[in-house]
Amino acid sequence: MSFWWLARKDLLLTFRDKKAFITLIAMPLLLIAILGAAFGNLMKDEEVSIKKFTLGVTDLDQGVLSKVLTDEVFKKGMEDQIKLQFFQEKDLLQKIKNHELEVGIIIQPDFSKSLLSGEETRIKLVSTPDPGVKPIIVQSVVEQFAQTIPIQTMLAAKQETGAVQQESIEPKDLIKESTLSKKTKPAGSFQYYAAAMGVMFLLMTVVQGVTMMIREKEEPVYQRLQLTNLTYSHYLLGKMMGLVILCFIQALIIIIGTNLLFDVNWGSSISGVIIMTFAFVVNACGLGMLAGALIKTEKGFNVAGMLGTQIMAALGGSMVPLYIFPDWIVSVTKFFPNGLALQTYLKLMSGAKLTEILPAVAGSIALGLLFLAIGVIFLVFERRGKYA
Amino acid sequence: MELLNVQHLRKSFGQLEAVKGVTFSVKKGESFGLLGPNGAGKSTTINMITGLFPPTSGSIFLHDIDVVKQPKQAQKRIGVVPQEIALYQEMSAWENLKFWGRIYGLNGSQLTRKVEEVLEIIGLSDRAKDKVSTFSGGMKRRVNIGAAILHNPELLIMDEPTVGIDPQSRNHILETVKQLNEEGMTVIYTSHYMEEVEYLCERIGIIDHGVVIASGTLKELREKMEDRSRIKLTIDGVKENAADINKVLAGHFSEKEFQFQDNQLIVFHKEPQLVLSELVHSVTETGTRITSVDIVEPNLESVFLHLTGRNLRD
Ligand SMILES: Nc1ncnc2c1ncn2[C@@H]1O[C@H](COP(=O)(O)OP(=O)(O)OP(=O)(O)O)[C@@H](O)[C@H]1O
Ligand SMILES: [Mg+2]
Repeated sequence: MSFWWLARKDLLLTFRDKKAFITLIAMPLLLIAILGAAFGNLMKDEEVSIKKFTLGVTDLDQGVLSKVLTDEVFKKGMEDQIKLQFFQEKDLLQKIKNHELEVGIIIQPDFSKSLLSGEETRIKLVSTPDPGVKPIIVQSVVEQFAQTIPIQTMLAAKQETGAVQQESIEPKDLIKESTLSKKTKPAGSFQYYAAAMGVMFLLMTVVQGVTMMIREKEEPVYQRLQLTNLTYSHYLLGKMMGLVILCFIQALIIIIGTNLLFDVNWGSSISGVIIMTFAFVVNACGLGMLAGALIKTEKGFNVAGMLGTQIMAALGGSMVPLYIFPDWIVSVTKFFPNGLALQTYLKLMSGAKLTEILPAVAGSIALGLLFLAIGVIFLVFERRGKYA
Repeated sequence: MELLNVQHLRKSFGQLEAVKGVTFSVKKGESFGLLGPNGAGKSTTINMITGLFPPTSGSIFLHDIDVVKQPKQAQKRIGVVPQEIALYQEMSAWENLKFWGRIYGLNGSQLTRKVEEVLEIIGLSDRAKDKVSTFSGGMKRRVNIGAAILHNPELLIMDEPTVGIDPQSRNHILETVKQLNEEGMTVIYTSHYMEEVEYLCERIGIIDHGVVIASGTLKELREKMEDRSRIKLTIDGVKENAADINKVLAGHFSEKEFQFQDNQLIVFHKEPQLVLSELVHSVTETGTRITSVDIVEPNLESVFLHLTGRNLRD
């Protein structure tokens, strides 16, 4: 139980420190808001550098709007990013199953009709279990298309009663207009950044926590801690527990805050988001504890901590979008707590269910506990090492 | 009954050998003092006894617990007052004591009662809810002691608990320790103030350069001095005239009975009153000027000086 009292003491001290408290709660929301405001421009530049991928299409509708979406928006408008291939539904699913294709959409028969009459429409998004950010791109394009069309058609209908004029719907404008002029948020892109920023903030909180831990190690209280009943495993577990609780609170604030303030949709599986968040926090804090066990001076940690988080944040997709990296880097960064977390959040955002992310959750928690165990072993051996 | 037994303790930090074979034992209920100047190796010795780090060689037993092999077993029975203030400054005295009590495994009403009792002992009941950072140096030292006695340790080890505080707080601390010892707690007390050790400790070890150079009861140590007092003469230009003074004194005293230190001439003698006038007379004959005369009864300071040729405090 002594580890719990240690954790509780750390939380108490953090909440007493007004500066730490504000950094923890207010800063993330503020920064996400600023980035959100500056966001439109950011995304425009980066879209050019998305690696080209193939999108499989089954058009069961064969209507006016499905043609606009496939031919104008995807084929011409996103020529640099997407190669379009048409399939029968059966073949499309087979290709995805065989991993010959990563992402596909199936446009339902009533697509054009429903859209034109302002009803909800359906496009099925299918993908391999692990397609990275591609479905997010496709999804956001389709969503924007669906949001913009009714307005465009209404405008067109006012001027020229009758059929929709295809020429008046320039696909590039479509994207731009939905980003800039309309009030709707570019959900896909903003979702990405909310997740990426949130993950980076949590890394920074871990760094903050480990800095406090090392500072304590340099103070006489650490000597007294070592002279009590507290074993090294209880010590590190207590430290980790305090930090996990702190990070979890921060994560929930980021998730709920971005959802309420900026309409960021973290996916339909609330339990998935919560469980993944917990798993990520355990992973990141475990890594933090390992660093805290290995590094003796705050000075030493400032350098290592800064460098480490910058590299992890950059490669993990928190600074530039993941899809500019080659696939192998994206795979490798799954071994970073933040890399795995971001990719899993994106999956959840594109509709994954709890069961689909359980492997990531398990991996995350296992890594965190492994880091913790190595940290404890190091502390024990370090003490023995003093026998010299 | 022997509580603590320390044998041939050594500790090296790289090239530096801080402790070079310390041996002593402490009986149950006893108060043992470790007296030595700065850098003598007191803290290093204490830190090994409390199991903070293992010795390079040597053995430490608390009852039959091998402290080197099973530090956690021993630590349950030991209360340690570290040389530095080991408290959370942003928490109140009450919160600090509660926290440390919990870490030692106390809880519930037992913990609350114990914290109240300790606050009473250290005389800080009325300031319990104030943050430690707002306390004076002496008050912090008292809380530092309080945190070490919450779990009713058999052995209380204090590493210079009165460094840098006002006389009033110091007296309070000495009284507290004396009382704890009288109530049955075994105490090891390190200091470079001989008055504290003389006042508190039944047995004393004098440590210098990592070696215990003398140990025993205060009486035994005084006997080493053959009950000789010290006559301290402060003399203008004692260094320049050392040769002359030497010559004059050689007729009256043996080599071992006098020595020069800084601007002082120190003479050891059983009956200082008898030789004082003759001494002053002889010294003035050399043409030097005596600016002060001081007679000191035999104490630990003189034992240390006698053994090492140096003062305890420089
Ligand atoms: N961790 C360490 N690394 C290297 N040298 C050390 C270490 N701890 C102590 N020393 C050295 O060992 C010697 C003994 O130090 P120690 O702290 O035990 O002395 P002390 O008697 O407690 O002195 P003080 O009265 O100043 O507290 C000193 O020379 C000190 O510089
Ligand atoms: Mg010391």
